Amino acid sequence: MKAKRMTILLGLLVMAGMVLSACGQEVVTVTVIEGGEVIVVTATPTVYDPVTLNLNLGTEPPTVDPALSTDTTSVDLVANLFMGLTRFDPVTGAVIPWLAETWEVSDDGTIYTFHLRTDIPWVQYNTGTGEVDLVTVDGATRYVNAYDVEYGTKRTIDPVTASDYSYVLYIIKNAQAVNSGEEGFTLDDIGVTALDATTVQFELESPAGFFPAIAGMWIANPTPEWVITAAGENWIEPGTMATNGPLVMTEWVHGSEMTLIVNPHWPGAGDIQIERYELLMIQEASTAFALYENNELDSTGVPLPEMDRVKADPVLSAEYVNYADVCTYYYGFTNNKPPMDDVRVRKAFSMSVDKVSLVENVLKGGQIPAGHFAPPGIFGTPAIGSVGLDYDPTAAAALLQEYLDEMGITIEDFNAMDVTLMHNTSEGHAMIAAAIQQMWLENLGVEVRVENQEWGVYLTTIQNDTPLADMPHVWRLGWCADYPDENNWVHEVFNADAGANRLRRGCVDEVCAEVVTSRFDDLTAQAGVEADPATRIELYFEAEQILSEIEAAYIPIYFYAGNSVAKPWLTRDFPLLGGNNFFEWEIDWDAKTAATR
Amino acid sequence: MTRYIIRRILGFIPVMFAVAIFTFVLVRVIPGGPFDFVGDRALPPSIVANIEAKYHLDWPVHIQFISYLLGDDVVELLTGGEYEMTAGGSRGLIRGDLGPSLFYRSQSVNDIIKGSFPISLQLGILALAIGIGIGIPAGIIAALRQNSWVDYTATFVAVLGVSIPSMVIGPVFIWLFAIRLGWLPVATWGAKPPFILGFIPRNLGWEFWSKAIMPSVALGTGLSAYIARLTRASLLQVLREDYIRTARSKGLHERVVIIVHALKNSLIPVVTIMGPLFAAIVTGTFIVEQIFGINGMGKHFVMSVGNRDYQILMGVTLLYTLLLVGANLIVDLTYAWLDPRIRFD
Repeated sequence: MKAKRMTILLGLLVMAGMVLSACGQEVVTVTVIEGGEVIVVTATPTVYDPVTLNLNLGTEPPTVDPALSTDTTSVDLVANLFMGLTRFDPVTGAVIPWLAETWEVSDDGTIYTFHLRTDIPWVQYNTGTGEVDLVTVDGATRYVNAYDVEYGTKRTIDPVTASDYSYVLYIIKNAQAVNSGEEGFTLDDIGVTALDATTVQFELESPAGFFPAIAGMWIANPTPEWVITAAGENWIEPGTMATNGPLVMTEWVHGSEMTLIVNPHWPGAGDIQIERYELLMIQEASTAFALYENNELDSTGVPLPEMDRVKADPVLSAEYVNYADVCTYYYGFTNNKPPMDDVRVRKAFSMSVDKVSLVENVLKGGQIPAGHFAPPGIFGTPAIGSVGLDYDPTAAAALLQEYLDEMGITIEDFNAMDVTLMHNTSEGHAMIAAAIQQMWLENLGVEVRVENQEWGVYLTTIQNDTPLADMPHVWRLGWCADYPDENNWVHEVFNADAGANRLRRGCVDEVCAEVVTSRFDDLTAQAGVEADPATRIELYFEAEQILSEIEAAYIPIYFYAGNSVAKPWLTRDFPLLGGNNFFEWEIDWDAKTAATR
Repeated sequence: MTRYIIRRILGFIPVMFAVAIFTFVLVRVIPGGPFDFVGDRALPPSIVANIEAKYHLDWPVHIQFISYLLGDDVVELLTGGEYEMTAGGSRGLIRGDLGPSLFYRSQSVNDIIKGSFPISLQLGILALAIGIGIGIPAGIIAALRQNSWVDYTATFVAVLGVSIPSMVIGPVFIWLFAIRLGWLPVATWGAKPPFILGFIPRNLGWEFWSKAIMPSVALGTGLSAYIARLTRASLLQVLREDYIRTARSKGLHERVVIIVHALKNSLIPVVTIMGPLFAAIVTGTFIVEQIFGINGMGKHFVMSVGNRDYQILMGVTLLYTLLLVGANLIVDLTYAWLDPRIRFD
């Protein structure tokens, strides 16, 4: 009796602790529902068992709106849900037909005309029936046409859309003027026109040999005007959105999971082997890896701490894949901040970094030591090993000594200048910085201070209008391809006049309000408008050479590599230029069901 | 009593206002805005201007704050149309609109909270139930058998529970129960929206419980250890009070002395910490949710800062504040019941 009263008392206390204006009653309801199974909804068991891929996206995609996508997760999904005019060959990286069957360029290189396929229908997932419906207009199937491409491109450029990536389309005539809201320009002035239902024409500001790659980017995808007009910002929800790609989204539980299925109306649907794609959004890499080990994922990335175990384990090592990633890790010099304003100092710092040792002993992930900026796969990149300063500590020390002698200072005086290396806060960057700091100390006797800042703060710090006193002497950054052309690399990143120029090359004043260009800048500008591919390659080769060898304006450190594991029943690729074309993967379903059930 | 409650609830308003204004200003003080960069790339100023115009970040800060509180249409009215409401503009906190997310471009903060808060609430309630269910009895037993082996064992376990962080327990659980033994799924949460009454899972079968056990226990053990220590200390102190000696000398049965006279009083400190604890636990715990891949609200507290998503940070902070002041009010009301000397009239 008394024991029972005590239980009741404790029970009440438990409640008292939890009771809250908002949910006090609801807690009671939990118990009620636990007791009676009335409200339990059980999924109807499906007789048919679709071939299913289980994968982790690693994050909630911020959007799948082609005009607004900027991150790799969103872009991957857009590539599976929508078709662009062109795409990249997964193996060679060449631009190949996709929505456009053919295209031609005018003699002066400024007008591109694309001819579209006529058999790609718009489809919409019906959340009521669970079917993929064809979009129809007056009873007729609505096929993707050139007007959809014109609308999609103009929508990205429209300042009201506020697209982050719209600047990539600035190569299109008047796009920049319209996007920046210049007086007297309207959307009609943008150089993209649907000549008829199957032909779309782009007029460019200047010749650009890389334009077919840009035309295939997500930001220029055709989008369904009628859906966007009706639904507004939220048009990208399953059931609402109309898409035209190989896959269709059926469910999106924000922050948790997403489900895609094959688009049965897509002309190539018969060749798509995986019928259902269950995508999770787990951020913690070690948790995703545990899911993989438990056969709950078919492929995932290998977290750095698991690397040694994966390579040693007989099963995991057979499932392990190391692949190149089109990104470059580099250390930039602030070229107008003493002592980094002297080329001998920059060369000494660059030549005393042992990249091979760094990759083998610190990174351990199959990265490639870099001598120049653009990685393999990018048009115009020099062959690996053909450009770049070699690791030569003796020559490096001699160069630094020459500088010290000329300035009449000792190494102690040099160290008193408090040379600073800065990176954004991350364990990986800290390890690399510590290793390089050690190399500089051993090879040059230089004491460098390492600092780190939170990402957003860091990016603001290393802008090229930060007062020179607040700039670190050396800073790290990475760069990944938007489109696979050197223009996107040496020109857009390093050109003193037209690029981001965080290296502060050619600055007249401290904060680079005014710059003078030099041979490198002229080369990259010229190569961008040059039509002949062979000439472009030569121009970019010289530009790469000047920047890393002659000016030693930065230290290219390594080209990224990806490290993944994939179950033996999954056949997947790692496209040269990145991305994930889920619809091209295949699963040995018998093997998977045998292993997982 | 009713007057007291009304007075307290009215008192929430200045608290919420103060928190709102502090958060609003502080997030904007951090260098770097939400749209300055895409990856490593600094966006051209014209593009930043387009995006800032869309989210009204180009307005003066005080106008932005008024818009956040009262809505864009009120701002338009107050300024005589100088600042206009545009499509997708905020209707203001006062009407329950927390605005659009700046990072998840197609979602509103309300959607994000609606999707993630119920899951954190479910996990939090389960963890608290474990924490209280184990902690209070363990604390009582330890206090009643002070300096016996029972006490030492309970205290040892409690110290262990407090000192081993969930970031250690979590992966150990996954390794042991999911990968080695194969009893439980590795991660994720077994319920998804829509929820009954906004937070109760529709399916409370094995699918739910198998996934809920590990994170709830990982989170609950630390709580139970904390609660047990507090209960023990408090009960020991109460047992030395004069009125307990009086009760015993009256010849009352030991059980009556403990349960009716000692225990009720000794729970005051436990209930006191329960308010803030509740608010903190049900709004999401970043580490446990990350380890178990749970789509809770914890990550939004952490990631919205890195993403400079001013709106999400404001939203989750205000929700946390509301829960905290609410829970504290309930705690205060519970005092009156636990200790008859406390009155609110």
